[in-house]
Amino acid sequence: MISAKPLESPRSSFTLQQEGVIAVAIVALSAIVSLINPDFLSANNLLDIAVNTAYIAVAAAGMTMVIVSGNIDISVGSMLGVCATIAGELARNGVPVPIAFAAAVLAGGALGAVNGLLVAYARIPAIVVTLGMLSILRGGLILVTQGRWIESLPEAFFFSQRSTLGIPNPIWVMVLVSVLTWLFMKYHRLGRAIYAVGGNAEAARLAGINPKRIYLFVFIMNGLLVGLAAVLYASRFTAIQSNAGQGFELAVISGTVVGGVSILGGVGSVMGALLGSLLISQIGTAAIFLKVSPFWLQAVQGGLILLTVLVDVLRRRRMT
Amino acid sequence: MTSKTSSAVTFLPSRLQSMLRTQEGVLLVLLVVIVVALSLLSDRFLTVNNLLNQTRLLTETALLALPMTLIIISGGIDLSVGSMLAWSAVMLGFSWQLLGLPLPLAVLVCLLTGVVGGAINGLLIAYVRVPPLIATLATLAIYRGFSFGISQARSARGFPEEFAFWGQGQIGPFPTQFVILAALIVAAHLLLSRTGFGRWVYAIGNNELAARYSGIPVERVKFTLYTLSGLMAGLAAFIFTSRVTTTRADAATGLELDVIAAVVLGGTSIFGGSGSIIGTVLGLVIITLLRNGLLLTGVKGDATFMVIGIVLILAVLVNNLVRRR
Amino acid sequence: MAVPIIELREISKAFPGVQALDRVSFEVREGEVHALLGENGAGKSTLIKILTGAHQPDSGTILLRGQPITIPDTRQGLKLGIAAIYQELSLYPDLTVAENIFMGHQPSNRFGMVDWRQMQQRARALLHELDADDLDVTRPVRGLSVGNQQRVEIAKALSHDARILIMDEPTAALTQHDVERLFEIVRRLRARGVAIIYITHRLEEVFLLADRVTVLRDGRVVGTTLEVSQTNQAELVKMMVGRTLDTLFPKDPAIPGEVVLEVRNLSYGRTTRNVSFTLRRGEIVGLAGLVGAGRSELAQVLFGITPAQSGTILVEGKEVRIRNPREAMALGIAYVPEDRKLQGLLLPMSVRENTTLAVLRQLLRYGFVDHHAESRLTQEYVDRLQIRTPSLMQQVANLSGGNQQKVVLAKWLAAKPRVLILDEPTRGIDVGAKAEIHRLMNALAHQGMAILMISSELPEVMGMSDRILVMRQGSIVAELDRQSASQEAVIAAAMGASELHLV
Repeated sequence: MISAKPLESPRSSFTLQQEGVIAVAIVALSAIVSLINPDFLSANNLLDIAVNTAYIAVAAAGMTMVIVSGNIDISVGSMLGVCATIAGELARNGVPVPIAFAAAVLAGGALGAVNGLLVAYARIPAIVVTLGMLSILRGGLILVTQGRWIESLPEAFFFSQRSTLGIPNPIWVMVLVSVLTWLFMKYHRLGRAIYAVGGNAEAARLAGINPKRIYLFVFIMNGLLVGLAAVLYASRFTAIQSNAGQGFELAVISGTVVGGVSILGGVGSVMGALLGSLLISQIGTAAIFLKVSPFWLQAVQGGLILLTVLVDVLRRRRMT
Repeated sequence: MTSKTSSAVTFLPSRLQSMLRTQEGVLLVLLVVIVVALSLLSDRFLTVNNLLNQTRLLTETALLALPMTLIIISGGIDLSVGSMLAWSAVMLGFSWQLLGLPLPLAVLVCLLTGVVGGAINGLLIAYVRVPPLIATLATLAIYRGFSFGISQARSARGFPEEFAFWGQGQIGPFPTQFVILAALIVAAHLLLSRTGFGRWVYAIGNNELAARYSGIPVERVKFTLYTLSGLMAGLAAFIFTSRVTTTRADAATGLELDVIAAVVLGGTSIFGGSGSIIGTVLGLVIITLLRNGLLLTGVKGDATFMVIGIVLILAVLVNNLVRRR
Repeated sequence: MAVPIIELREISKAFPGVQALDRVSFEVREGEVHALLGENGAGKSTLIKILTGAHQPDSGTILLRGQPITIPDTRQGLKLGIAAIYQELSLYPDLTVAENIFMGHQPSNRFGMVDWRQMQQRARALLHELDADDLDVTRPVRGLSVGNQQRVEIAKALSHDARILIMDEPTAALTQHDVERLFEIVRRLRARGVAIIYITHRLEEVFLLADRVTVLRDGRVVGTTLEVSQTNQAELVKMMVGRTLDTLFPKDPAIPGEVVLEVRNLSYGRTTRNVSFTLRRGEIVGLAGLVGAGRSELAQVLFGITPAQSGTILVEGKEVRIRNPREAMALGIAYVPEDRKLQGLLLPMSVRENTTLAVLRQLLRYGFVDHHAESRLTQEYVDRLQIRTPSLMQQVANLSGGNQQKVVLAKWLAAKPRVLILDEPTRGIDVGAKAEIHRLMNALAHQGMAILMISSELPEVMGMSDRILVMRQGSIVAELDRQSASQEAVIAAAMGASELHLV
């Protein structure tokens, strides 16, 4: 038999995944900041960072599914606002809190379904659909609330302020959602089908996977998770502002992308998105510990997002 | 059902029929409907004064939408335009009020800031090859951060009266910025549809690899586009500051979405390769008239966001349906 | 005679403006390689799509083992044991080999959780049957050679337990070496009773591999299905084109002039190593080698897409640097790339816009495009290359493969190059257009152009070249002239003599 071997790139067993890069970045940043201010590594502060990240990370898990499928959802900020308001309004009007929470999650799923139907069956690009949805929900929310804050919520409503087994509830939810969606994406046939559709939709179709159903599915999942994030968000403070969720889409997409989920689809993991979201929050807290003027915070955060993205781009270039 | 609609269409002369199949055609019909409906609802709507005044509000978005059209046709996107505008405006106020530069020099600083911001985007996208969505998502945060950091969230105000000319004055019967905008629309249209550069933009958007293999300086074209976007953000910042007579770090937050909505509404494919300046202008006019008309008919300001979102999705949906036949 | 495993009866299918298939009947038996021949547009792809369930016929019957069936979609097609391997491989670049094989039907438990270990074991077993044990099932597909990617595709079809395998021009992108391996696999599958429908443009493959052959032309079966042993190339060509072609390779001997291009010790990464050769006016030099031998990569170095890291390039005796395609163009070098859709054309744009793309600068007046000059120039090349298009404003996407390739050629001829590099100039285009392009190459060489032709089709290399350079692992390992070159010598050089057990 003939054994001439064509040139092939070697197997990339050695290369560091983006998840690894981010994990190293988190550790390195912690080390540096704690040298200057040892309080940074205190349990309280670390828990704070995690709690602050929880609602972003929950939504980032959904965003990971959407982006891996080759789409994007920029309406998550408006959706968060709408779902938070629904939970708050229902609870304030005497609806039992668990039902109010469930309603918020389901509302997110319904909104996600609208996005998904328009993307999958009306064949409008996701960025256009969700840009439109962003406007519609933002306008609709202000129209309904007239800009008023939702206050005087029942005590049972403040789920995010409580702890279970000594660990704040939002952290439980974040960990649970991340692990479950990670397992689902890695080991479930439907999860793998999301990668297939994002990597090569035509090939997936030939393999008997219906890309339209996958698109609908990821948008619904994303909606449900945004609804859950809205519950975490709404139950943290004593009032829900009418402009809740403004800019949230940028935080979620940044975390996801920094975590190595390729904007081109087909590549990335929920763990990456979780680590990416944590890193961005950590940068914010670190800046405070380093006494960076709060007004410069966003610039620092943006700069570090850019830095991790650059590392990723350069690393990938070296591989090819 | 299909036969019914097609027989309805055959009434129309064929020229009009083929025009209706383009997004521009759909928009033109939509525009007529909107104008008729709104002028029936409010007698203050269809007046020369009102319409001219609207161009004042439209200018900043329009200035950004012109380069955005080219960028989206080239297969890219620029999310940082709102932040670049704010940063440029802050630099104007900062260099005039705190550094004491003469106002014309401060305006120059403002324009240069935009150019620098755009050039950084261009470098990242064209030469470092960061995907545009990600690069400008990061610079959106960075430039907004610069705006807050440099101004320390304080606003600059108290500009001299002659400065108001650019944002509040008149040239003949026309608002100053309308004249500037009209000239730039014509220039952008010619650039895109008639020049070699414009052809390159379409070529890159349709098939970047083939464009590169055909000797087109892909990097230089992209770099130019994003830098141009920055320059327009600087110009928009200048006119904006002159109009509202103050510079604030949170100016134009979320404006990038308005700009992109106008461009997409105008029929430019978000995947690149097709689109036109005329379409973008129609998209802008529709959004502005809707907003103004609805306000005049008593609809609350924020509800207009809703209407615009619906119009955006419907316009693309209708266009999809028309093209599929 | 046994019942055929699948039979088409009077299948018709129309698309707006074309009758793609007109009462087509044919049958395939178990353990048979059935070749399907036809020029582009003859209806072969429509036929495949109907067999796999991607399209539904307008009329006619499909019988599977004598039973009439309908194949509503590809998923159902796979369930019935009908699988296709398309010319454009459909893989997921970032997923592993194992996952590419089993996507959509992974071994999983009743909750749908995938059993990765079992999946990898089964993938290894499938690749073992294809004698491709060297393929690591846990590595991503990105970066695999075309031959290996194709093996993944075949393994994928086998994983569905395909009894009917449709192969659409499987050798189009393969080197001689990989072609041999593929033939071996096809013969093995046939021995196992798989029915294979084999679509190709290369007549010699029909005689090497197939048992029977059916020819399609304009959506109809020409004559009847023939036993391969009872026909010959000339007859098949006549059936395909409706006329006889004197010869496919009308090469006249060249009268080489002075040296136009000389390269010395050119290197780039691992793909171009110390390459030296010369190219003269008026000659066609064939560049042969396995896929992955570095031929296209060498072309890309010469054209400035991946500029040389070391070595010297001389154009007409003067040392030059080529750092990007523009500099190459300025020196009179043109490159018609391998993949016309990916690297050559702006599919949604017009014939005119595509033709003038590389010379647009010459058509500008004060930066504005002179549309009259543009149309004149385009018309000139449409006439000269006989590009069949309804108008200059026609979208290139709507042209046939052969005419698309001519548009790419027109784009580069408009640049009036001294050196023309052609990378697989006739891949995937029909016999008629192929002959036209060969005639054109001849004419260009006669006018004094120097042509470097990369081709994986050995008869084309042998027929068209004045000299043949053979590459292996990034280096030029042999130079053969027209007289002394034999297919065996080229293959021997391409594979390295020690590894030659072929022929």
